[in-house]
Amino acid sequence: MKKKLPIVLYLVITYHVPTTQKKGNRRDMQETEVRSSGQVEKCTIGIEELDTQLNGGIPTGSTVLVVGSSGSGKTTLCMQYLINGAKKGERGVFFTITEPLFKLTKNIEGFKFYDKKLVETGMVNLIDLRIISERLGLDAEKYTVEDASALLDVLRDIAEELDVKRLVMDSITALCYRLQTREMIRDFIFKLGTSLAAMKCTTLLTSEVPPRTFKYSQYEIEEFISDGIIFLGDVERRGDLIRTLQIVKMRGTSHSRTKFAMNISTDRGIELLPLLKSE
Amino acid sequence: MLDGLKERIFKAAKIHQSIGIIVPMNNYSDLSEAMFSYMLDDNADIWIYLMITKSYDTMMKRFNGLAEHKNIKFIDCISRAAGITRNDKGCVYIDSPVMLEKMIIEIMHIFHECKPDVSKYLILDSISALMIYNNPETVKEFFQHLINKSRAENMHSISIVLEEELNEYMNRIIFLNDKIIKVKESFI
Ligand SMILES: Nc1ncnc2c1ncn2[C@@H]1O[C@H](COP(=O)(O)OP(=O)(O)O)[C@@H](O)[C@H]1O
Ligand SMILES: [Mg+2]
Repeated sequence: MKKKLPIVLYLVITYHVPTTQKKGNRRDMQETEVRSSGQVEKCTIGIEELDTQLNGGIPTGSTVLVVGSSGSGKTTLCMQYLINGAKKGERGVFFTITEPLFKLTKNIEGFKFYDKKLVETGMVNLIDLRIISERLGLDAEKYTVEDASALLDVLRDIAEELDVKRLVMDSITALCYRLQTREMIRDFIFKLGTSLAAMKCTTLLTSEVPPRTFKYSQYEIEEFISDGIIFLGDVERRGDLIRTLQIVKMRGTSHSRTKFAMNISTDRGIELLPLLKSE
Repeated sequence: MLDGLKERIFKAAKIHQSIGIIVPMNNYSDLSEAMFSYMLDDNADIWIYLMITKSYDTMMKRFNGLAEHKNIKFIDCISRAAGITRNDKGCVYIDSPVMLEKMIIEIMHIFHECKPDVSKYLILDSISALMIYNNPETVKEFFQHLINKSRAENMHSISIVLEEELNEYMNRIIFLNDKIIKVKESFI
């Protein structure tokens, strides 16, 4: 029989849990979770229909690729995810590479779900990755192996320092472009994903693809290495385009592969409804 | 004058979850008159008027007191496509009559916003117009989805079909309703 620990000691132990978990890899962690609760721990996206389809959300600690062409809603989905998390007390960080911060903020301010206070209080952190690379003295266009390693350390440090539970990289495509070989891309995403998983931080990486392609990523490595893929596309109906969303893969949970019609509105952000048959 | 028609429709709408109204073109404006006169007098229930080929603006001009009525909301599927970008409190604008999923999202949203104990009614004007813009199979699926949602959410639907435009497809859809009313001169 276990001895009951004094409460002070108990607090110290719980406090240290994240540090011990850093050593474990993703598989170990998921297994413990399954054993302890009978179910994988989930991170809700905060978009009702999507969480339902994922049986409660994304398995905590996963790295999920959000794929789509320009204007398909990737940034909006990721922001909604961060803000919904912050509203529940989960801190998040958004690394932007393609858009400067002022532009990102200006777009997102248009949505009712956006709450400036969450940014001001540090529950949602918006960071321009180009400024970080600049400060690290990295080449703006191409990273060497050392550059990539330095950047990775900084990203890990930021995530750890802020104790974030949700991280967004917008876009991984732009970052991959700066990493010169497939090995470097693989290494970077793998290491980032593993460290974040150990911190129980759930990560969304946006992947930019040309319109109406059946590709999920620019370099293919991104999609193989990620735990999940959410695809944003569109279908044509009598000349009008209907936005769609589909969960293509999600390790560690059952999910539907139903194609959804996706609505983006100022008042309610992203909403989904099963796509009706077209032509 | 239109009291007979009014009574028949709204009695049926109260009893049945979904009713279909088949109306000859000649009597369409009587039907419209009857429906709006009923809705305008009703302050207890919540109404959504989903129109496929008519604009909110036209309705406002035709029926006095609509804009001020708090319990009637419109969904307009034609104005945006015509390049009209105005915003109105009493109306949700949808870019195109093919955006059927968005129609359902907006209907459910309006109904979710209102108190749970009020009666909710949806008027779909019209299935025949929806058919012009969409594939018949898609319209059928849309309608089935709507009927299922109405049962689950306890809302009532009234769907209009023009008699002259009835065809095999529309027959199949209209008969998904719990009750069909054919408007005849004798009612009016
Ligand atoms: N405030 C807003 N209200 C409604 N829709 C918006 C708003 N801001 C942007 N959108 C819509 O969201 C779309 C997707 O934008 P975004 O998420 O930036 O796409 P992506 O990141 O995939 O390029 C835009 O093309 C626009 O149609
Ligand atoms: Mg974007």
